[in-house]
Amino acid sequence: MPPNSDSAEATVVLPAHLHARPAGTLAKTAARFESRIEIAHNGRTANPTGILAVMGLGATAGTTVTVRAHGADAEHAVTEISRLLASID
Amino acid sequence: MPSSVGIVLVSHSPELASGLCVLLDQLGAAPGSVIAAAGTADGRIGTSYDAIVVAIEKADQGRGAIVLPDLGSSVLTARTVLDDHPRPGVRLVDAPFVEGAVAAAVIATTGADLDTVIAAAQEARHATKL
Repeated sequence: MPPNSDSAEATVVLPAHLHARPAGTLAKTAARFESRIEIAHNGRTANPTGILAVMGLGATAGTTVTVRAHGADAEHAVTEISRLLASID
Repeated sequence: MPSSVGIVLVSHSPELASGLCVLLDQLGAAPGSVIAAAGTADGRIGTSYDAIVVAIEKADQGRGAIVLPDLGSSVLTARTVLDDHPRPGVRLVDAPFVEGAVAAAVIATTGADLDTVIAAAQEARHATKL
């Protein structure tokens, strides 16, 4: 399917484990967007507004996560969420 | 800034509840939105009816509050308090104590309404860790 303006995707290599504190920040950031966002890791996906689901992905430092969004602000959402994931420590 | 939905942690143990409060604070819970009602009036393991009444008063800042009991008499005492002092925006929620509080506190900081916060706490039961 060709990409369109209502969906966006990016991959991020995590600089640190996706542990509780960054997962909390992620949930708060994701809630600001109206697009449907998902975080995929190792064949599993989670809604980033759910801190427990995100922690349950077990995404560790050095692994890749994919951020996808569908909706009016998809591009902006993927940019912001990717930036956040790329800067966790 | 508008207030967020409050969370009352009802526990047998003051240390357990205060430790969870610190964790929720680290995760960015809104200041003053999480209130512990834990231990007996003289600081022993147990629950206090009066402490729960006071905690609910503090936690409900106009957006409502959820009451999360750990187990046993925390549930029974919290239920009695809410039966005696029903408040439309305050609900006793059946959820895992730690995970439910974490999920609820994080979603509450986004300005979510009471039903959304309740759902987040309840869904914590189904979140897998591994």
